[in-house]
Amino acid sequence: MSAAALAFGHWRAASRDPGLRLLAVAVVVAVAALSSVAFFADRVERALQQQGAALMAADLVIEQGAPVPQDWLDKADALALRHARTLTFPSVIVANDRPLLVQVKAVEAPYPLRGRLRVDTPQGEVSQVPASGTAWLEGRLRDRLGAQIGVTDVGLGELQLRAAGVLVDEPDRGGNLFQLAPRLMLAYDDVQRSGLLGPASRVKYRLLLAGEADRLQQMRAWLEDRLPRGSELADLENARPELRTALERARRFLSLAALCASLLAGVAIMLATRRYVDRALDGAAVLRTLGMSAAAVLRWHLVQLLLVVIVATALGSLGGLVGQQALVSVLGDWFGEALPAPGLRPALVGLLFGLSMALGFAVPTLLRVGRVPPLRVLRREMDAPGLAAWTVWVLAAGGFFGLMVWQVQDLRLAGGMALALSAALASMMLAGRLLLLALNPLRRAGGNAALGLAALARYPQLTLLQLAGFGLGITLLLLLAVVRVDIIDTWQGSLPEQAPNHFLINLQPEERAALAELLLTRQIANSGLYAMARARLVAIGDRQVDPEDYTDLRARRLAAREFNLGFSADMQRDNRIQAGNWWEPGEPPRAQFSVEEGLAKSLGIQFGDTLTFDVAGQSVRAPVTSLRSVAWDSFNVNFFVVAPPQMALDLPVTYLTSLYLDEASEGLTLELVQQFPAVSVIDVRPILVQVRAIMERGALAVEMVFVFTLLAAALVSVAAAQVSRDERAREVAIMRTLGASRRRLLGGLLAEFGLLGLIGGLLAAGLASVSGYVIAVELFELPGRVSPDVWWFGIGGGTLVVGLVGWLATRRLLGVPPLQVLNSD
Amino acid sequence: MSDGRVLDILSAIDMQVNAGEAVAILGPSGSGKSTLLGLLAGLDQPSQGRVSLLGRALGELDEDARAALRAGRVGFVFQSFQLLPGMTALENVALPLQIGRRRNARGQAEALLHEVGLGERLSHLPRQLSGGEQQRVALARAFAGDPQVLFADEPTGNLDADSGRRIIDLLFGLRDRVGCTLLLVTHDQQLAARCDRVLQLDAGRLVDAT
Repeated sequence: MSAAALAFGHWRAASRDPGLRLLAVAVVVAVAALSSVAFFADRVERALQQQGAALMAADLVIEQGAPVPQDWLDKADALALRHARTLTFPSVIVANDRPLLVQVKAVEAPYPLRGRLRVDTPQGEVSQVPASGTAWLEGRLRDRLGAQIGVTDVGLGELQLRAAGVLVDEPDRGGNLFQLAPRLMLAYDDVQRSGLLGPASRVKYRLLLAGEADRLQQMRAWLEDRLPRGSELADLENARPELRTALERARRFLSLAALCASLLAGVAIMLATRRYVDRALDGAAVLRTLGMSAAAVLRWHLVQLLLVVIVATALGSLGGLVGQQALVSVLGDWFGEALPAPGLRPALVGLLFGLSMALGFAVPTLLRVGRVPPLRVLRREMDAPGLAAWTVWVLAAGGFFGLMVWQVQDLRLAGGMALALSAALASMMLAGRLLLLALNPLRRAGGNAALGLAALARYPQLTLLQLAGFGLGITLLLLLAVVRVDIIDTWQGSLPEQAPNHFLINLQPEERAALAELLLTRQIANSGLYAMARARLVAIGDRQVDPEDYTDLRARRLAAREFNLGFSADMQRDNRIQAGNWWEPGEPPRAQFSVEEGLAKSLGIQFGDTLTFDVAGQSVRAPVTSLRSVAWDSFNVNFFVVAPPQMALDLPVTYLTSLYLDEASEGLTLELVQQFPAVSVIDVRPILVQVRAIMERGALAVEMVFVFTLLAAALVSVAAAQVSRDERAREVAIMRTLGASRRRLLGGLLAEFGLLGLIGGLLAAGLASVSGYVIAVELFELPGRVSPDVWWFGIGGGTLVVGLVGWLATRRLLGVPPLQVLNSD
Repeated sequence: MSDGRVLDILSAIDMQVNAGEAVAILGPSGSGKSTLLGLLAGLDQPSQGRVSLLGRALGELDEDARAALRAGRVGFVFQSFQLLPGMTALENVALPLQIGRRRNARGQAEALLHEVGLGERLSHLPRQLSGGEQQRVALARAFAGDPQVLFADEPTGNLDADSGRRIIDLLFGLRDRVGCTLLLVTHDQQLAARCDRVLQLDAGRLVDAT
């Protein structure tokens, strides 16, 4: 019988091994934690894609300067794709004898193909395109015109349109909050009769398409050969940056929590394997005397381990499926509609991850089985040489790091974890060695506590292993239990109750003083006035910027559009320098730019590059002296590109600010529009609500994943306590035989575990404080603040919990008749 | 040794055991009996000297080749039984047969367990058996492959007198049936007397051979 066949044949014997059982439970927990987050993240990712589609009102959009040819529509029909045409252009309308610049948009049914159009009419909310002869007006347009819905007529070229409803939401309005002119929407057929679509007009024609993915792909391929130059084909566009940032943070929290859980489970796996191997060594020696080769003995155990891990991983994946459903029930309504069904990929990821993690953590220890000397059957003290303890840890940690990078696709997160882990292990080992040194004299003392403490010194390897196990467990638990609360509080605090909910844009320089005074007298909180200019990026270094040069759609759009070039002496609070330096107040004035890192990455801008912008015909040229990250979800005034104020002196600038308006100050909007006719007031409350929801639900989701972490931490504790169970059983039996009282032995055990917990907790508190700070600052770009509670929880909790776990795990030993233990040797 | 001195556990041992012979190695604790048994069975290697088993010089074989030599041809009985704790009595006995790729391993194992009087305890785990019963399972396992050589290390050392006697009767009964060579380490004079030959070991040296 081959070793593999033997392993299969004796699977029941394997299933009776307590070490293997513990290992299996640890694998189940690790895989369940990871795959539930992976399942969920996958569904959210696909939901985001759908949301992205809603932001385009379609799955695929073609935009160009000429009308959409009929054969494109025919092709779309042939492929059973839904389609709708829209067109937009700026124009001046007249109502109540007032002319006003608007952004006209003509749409045909069944616009929108994705997302929802929302229009308030006297008959209630509707979502269809305007009927012929009528128009939907954006709220601020109605205010400006002083129009009455159902009554006022609006003149657009040769057309007279009845204002029939207020446009509340239009899915493909796009991420640009700062679109200056308000929207007027009318029927596609009407606009043909307006007389405004002449050759010189700045009309953008769009064809929106939606349908099955493969049909869309065919359409796309068909179109690509026919698209005239200047046409743009866009599929899923990025969601709004504000939502992106918030969602990205939520995802990081979840990944971090899941990683902590699986890392803990990994430690539990390693400790459980150690126990399994310790017990397996005697059997392995027997197998060797029975004539099995070392390789065959190892193969047997490897196959046995593999069997257990495969079953446990499958169970874990099932657990993940259930877990993600719980996450969905909490978080699902972020997305308004039902999330897409769970895909197969996360199950596969969970399976592979569990398998490689279990093997990575277990195999280095298991190798000992193949090295057991057969003489152990006669001399039990003959041990199997294993890899040095640190090699096992390094191998396991290295394997885990690789898996982390693969799973979370986030080198910084994985790197941070790996670094923290290494530091944690190094300090645990160092502290462990010092502890052993300090305990050595106790071996000659005789008190109850001394008896237990001396036990730690008698088994230095086990003590180090237990300390590392308990210590890591407490660290990760503290990190999530205390630091998590801090980070989430800080995160939610970054968007205070009175976060700006309105933006005021297009304020003229001469109106600045008047506005500032108005805001001051009304006591309206605002973020201060910022100068900005509409600027188009013309060149990076000597290279001319041409949207056609970029394959990435976001980059294409960014290259094609005008930026808001901001001017400011100080950096926004929520910005963080990633490269270079912000200009100092005393610095001699010189032309320079600070660029947002995401934009720089998309457009290929490097630190030190010279950028050339075209601002209303003037060329502005300066080097990039810093790259910044921006917390777009703070709702402060932020710019992709910022320059020092002196650069604005010769440029045509307008001003903007963000402010908080409560219910009582609602009327101010109208007043502002009337006093400053050019100013646009943008209400960002709907987005604010969404971001808040993500924060709140994100925090809740982390709590749920935290349950896995708790479970894993409990497993680690049990596994760590079990590691030395066999040695302890023998010692207890001998001491009982020698007349040691139950109380004395119990005191010793409590002292032993309590001290391990105390030291583990002390180290853990320090490690959790440092890593919590680093995680907040580096990963979540939030101010670092770690509560001193970590120390209390760490030291007090560590001592109590580890003492309790140790007592629970070993108390049964005291009840076992000594002969039973000694005879089983 | 830690102070740099060399400690000879066994020295000047020259012995031969013929096929089918039963030899007892007798000696006080620490005399090197178990070490000698380990060397003869190829479980360990001498720092000097030569050991042959079944006509093969063990020094020329590596660890795995020595294991292969033992497979199916050498049986062991230990003082501490050495049963695999997760396996039932039947599984423990079938194991050497499975390793030796014998057919009907379980059937043979079952017959052997009946022979040692444990036909009713096939599915019991070692911890559910008494010491004497565990040693009987170990005996059944040792004879499972019809070994040519059987090594027994203090087989009654962990048992009471009554159980010990029964084990010895069983051991010699099985040996008579199989006809294998027996090497028995013991400090029990009476037990040693049942063997064809007795080698007396003291402080690592053979002091008497009868």
